[in-house]
Amino acid sequence: MDIKGSVALVTGGGNGIGEAVVKHLAKQGAKVAVVDMAQKNIDRVVKDIQEMGGEAIGIQANVTSEADTARYIKGTIEAFGQLNIAVSCAGIIRDGTMLSLDKETGQVSKKLDLAKWQAVIDTNLTGTFLCMRDAAEAMVNGGWEGLLVPISSVNKVGQVGQLNYSSAKVADALMPKIIVGEFLMRGIRNIRCVAVAPGYTATPMLTGMNQDALKAILEDVHLGRLVAPEEIASLIGYCVENQALNATTIEITGGLCYPKGIAK
Amino acid sequence: MPTLIYNDMTFTVAPRGDRWDISYALPNGSSALAGAGLFAGLAETEAAARAMALIKTIFPVGIKSVGPDVTHPNTIGDLKIVGPDVTHPNFIYWNKDSVSCPRQL
Repeated sequence: MDIKGSVALVTGGGNGIGEAVVKHLAKQGAKVAVVDMAQKNIDRVVKDIQEMGGEAIGIQANVTSEADTARYIKGTIEAFGQLNIAVSCAGIIRDGTMLSLDKETGQVSKKLDLAKWQAVIDTNLTGTFLCMRDAAEAMVNGGWEGLLVPISSVNKVGQVGQLNYSSAKVADALMPKIIVGEFLMRGIRNIRCVAVAPGYTATPMLTGMNQDALKAILEDVHLGRLVAPEEIASLIGYCVENQALNATTIEITGGLCYPKGIAK
Repeated sequence: MPTLIYNDMTFTVAPRGDRWDISYALPNGSSALAGAGLFAGLAETEAAARAMALIKTIFPVGIKSVGPDVTHPNTIGDLKIVGPDVTHPNFIYWNKDSVSCPRQL
């Protein structure tokens, strides 16, 4: 599929990886819908795209809401007449171990809050599901060529302190296999699904963290630096253009390894 | 350059080449873009109509209460009082006077 002339929507498009995806696709000639919770971020990104000479709309939405999902899909189609690419970048972290023990008694002193679990599952898994489902519905009913891109994470392998996040991201990584299998079963041939699983990426969340902790993380990355959001955006652009990429999850980590050199 | 008022917000539809930008006024007096480079080749009246339809979709208005929220009852003694779930994302607070509520083009 050609990026030029296509219509893309990106949840979490107001910053980080989502912003890079929006700008990459707009630079290549796609019309883009920037979907985000933060109106201020939406306004900034839409303004940037205007200055690039691109076409964009901004839609403030909560990706966990079915009504908001329907609204941002409808808004995208009203503005641009079709939908071809849906990238689900919106995500949050609420880290914590499932149990914490009191050092003196050895008894459980704290459990992972249900609220922390639910917020991450709602945003990172249900939000992705709603985006993929409703984007696919529009693509099928419109008869448009389409690509669905759930954003997973290299921590889908299981990261301590991220039971909620890893559980959501491994499910996101599984989506392409199931969705494309169902498409084949139902005779839907115009839509592909490719998930992308980034490693540690230079988003404000990571670059702003404790620099010693960041240095420790980078010791396990073969590339020796964080992955740039633009590199992930470029991979997604490639996924759009290469029709043979389908029903799979692609990792982009810079060579993230466990300590002692086994690749994650 | 059409000006549209919807939900107590003022939008302007301005030409940029053969396309249209939709901006809206912010409370601090500045403006932000709701859309850029839209409706290629459309005349002003058609662009304004398309813009209004898009604005109505992008900026939701009104109140939808979802409930009762049985998990968070208010209690008076043993009596449990369940109300609408105001934390639901579909619940939108309307903080304007009721007279301005139906005002739209």
